[in-house]
Amino acid sequence: MIDISERIGERFKNMSRDQIEAFQSEALPKTVAQAAKSPWFAAKFKEMGIEPGDIKSRDDVTRLPFTTKNDLRLSYPAQMLTVDPVDIIRMHTSSGTTGKPTAIFHTAQDVANWAELMARSLYLAGARPDDVFQNMSGYGLFTGGLGLHYGAERLGMWVIPAGPGNTARQILLIRDFHVTVIHATPSYAMHVAERMIAEGDDPRSLGIKIAALGAEPYTEEMRHKLQDLYGFKAMNSYGLSEMNGPGVAFECKYQNGMHIWEDSYLVEVINPDTLQPAAEGEVGELVLTTLRRTAMPLIRYRTRDLTRLITDECPCGCKHSRLSRFVGRSDDMLIIRGVNVFPSQIEEVLMRNKWLGGNYVIELTKSAALDQMNIKVELSKDGFDGTVETLRKLRGDLQRQLKEQIGFTAAVEVTEPGSLPASEGKAKRVVDLRS
Amino acid sequence: MYNEIRVFVENKSGKLAKVAGALGNAGIDIINIELADEGQFGVFKLLTADPQKAKQALENAGMTVAFNKVAVIEIADQPGSLVKLAKALENEGMSVQDAYGCILDRGKRAIFVVKGDNLEAIESAAKGAGLKVLDSLE
Repeated sequence: MIDISERIGERFKNMSRDQIEAFQSEALPKTVAQAAKSPWFAAKFKEMGIEPGDIKSRDDVTRLPFTTKNDLRLSYPAQMLTVDPVDIIRMHTSSGTTGKPTAIFHTAQDVANWAELMARSLYLAGARPDDVFQNMSGYGLFTGGLGLHYGAERLGMWVIPAGPGNTARQILLIRDFHVTVIHATPSYAMHVAERMIAEGDDPRSLGIKIAALGAEPYTEEMRHKLQDLYGFKAMNSYGLSEMNGPGVAFECKYQNGMHIWEDSYLVEVINPDTLQPAAEGEVGELVLTTLRRTAMPLIRYRTRDLTRLITDECPCGCKHSRLSRFVGRSDDMLIIRGVNVFPSQIEEVLMRNKWLGGNYVIELTKSAALDQMNIKVELSKDGFDGTVETLRKLRGDLQRQLKEQIGFTAAVEVTEPGSLPASEGKAKRVVDLRS
Repeated sequence: MYNEIRVFVENKSGKLAKVAGALGNAGIDIINIELADEGQFGVFKLLTADPQKAKQALENAGMTVAFNKVAVIEIADQPGSLVKLAKALENEGMSVQDAYGCILDRGKRAIFVVKGDNLEAIESAAKGAGLKVLDSLE
C-alpha cells in the first residue's frame, strides 16, 4: 500500500487551530506580495495606499480591498497574472454566458496543490486508494471534471473518467468495475436512479459507497432520498472556479457542514450590505483569500454565497472550520440548465424596450426535469397602441433578444400595467419554484 | 372616422366582467364587442356610443385602453345592401383587412365597420356609392 500522507497533505489536514492561524499569518503576507506582481493588484494597492509590507499577519486582511466577479471580468484576459506565462500549465474559465468570461491561471505547483486539496477532501469523505472512482462530471473548462479527476488520481484511486451522460454506459461501468465512489450532480444521480428503477433495477445493487455531489444547489430532502435509493453516503462538495474549483470545502463522515481548508483559503464571513464582518456564527457572504496559489492569487474574493461559519469542534477531529449549508447568494445569480444567468442581464433587455414598464418577475419552474424560465413583463401605460400586431411583435422581439442574451429560450408573459410588484424597495424579482 | 376602443387584458377569469362592469356603471351601451385572443393575453375591441366617455370609464377602472380608427358605414338592414358597398370598394381596387357588421335597428339600419390603414379612401368610396359614413353612433 502506498503512503498517502504526503499526497493528501496530512500535515495540513491535521493542523491544530494554533497551527492553522500561525500558517495563515505567514502565508497572507506572501500572497499579498505575490498579488502585487500583477498589474491589477499593483494598481489596486497603490490606489488604496497599501504597501505589501504593511500586511504582517492574518488579522491585517481587513485592510485589503475586496475582489469581485466584475473585477475578474475587467482584468480579463490576464491583468491578474503574476508569473511569467511560460510557467502557466493550465487555465479554466467560468461558465459566463455573455461578454467576457473570467479566466483563472495555474502553475504546475498550483495544479498540484489543488489536486492535494481534492485528494484530501475525498479522503475526508471516506475514499481510499483501493476505491474505484467514476467521475460523471463534465471535463473541459468546467473545473468539476479535471478537479475531481486529478484529486482522485492523486489519492491513488482507480479513476474512470466517464464524463456526463450516456446513462446505460455509466451503469454498465459502475457494475463491471465495482465502482465504490462517484462524483455527479445531484440531479444526474437522481436521473440514473430513476432510470434504473424504471427498468426494474435497484440502484442499491450497484454497491456505491460514497457520492460526491456538487455544482448545483440541492435540498437536504434530496440528499436523504438519494442516500435511501442508493445506500451510499452523499457528501456535499463546495468549490468555485475562482478558488480553483472543487476541493475548497468538503464534508466529513459526520455530514454536518463542509470543512473548508484554511491552510489554502483565509475565510471571512461579511454582511454583504455593510461589508463589515458578520457576527460569529451569523449568516453572511463568504469571502475567501487564496493562501497557496501562485499564478493568480485572489484577495478577499466575494463569492456571493451566503453561509454561516461553524467553529465548534467536529467529532471527526479535523480542526478546519465548517461551512453550513448555503442559504442562497448575495446577488441573485441563477443557474438555469447549468448556465449562469444574472437577472441584470434580463433586465438589460427589458429596459431597452420602449413598450414596457419597469417591473418584471422571473419565474423558474421545472418541467420534465428541465429548468423553465418564464418572464413576466408589464406593458407600460403608454405602451398599448391598440393593435394585437404590436403586442405579438413585442413578445417575439423579447424572446429573440433574451435568447441572444442568455442563450436559451424563455417564455414571455405580457401583463397589464401595475399588475406586478413595484420596483421600489426590495421587490422580489425572482421566483424560484424549482425545488 | 370613428374611434373603436381597444382594451389590453391578460387572459384571466373576470376580465370581461371588469370591462362590462365599468361600461355598465357609466351607462354606456356596447354596440359590438370582439376579442382577439393571443393565448396568454388578448385585446377587447369595443364599439360604443360615446368613445371618449367609454375610454375614460375603462381607464378609471384601471384598464389599459387605446383608440383605434375605423370607418363606420351605414347600410340598410336588408338582403343585398352590402353588395353596394362591396362593389364600390372593388371598383376602387381596395381590399378589406378586417371588418365586421352589426345591426342598429332590425330590418332598417345596419353598419359595416372597416379597419385598416386606407380608411379615408374607403370612406370616400362609400360616399361615392351614395352610402352614409357615420361619425356618431348616438
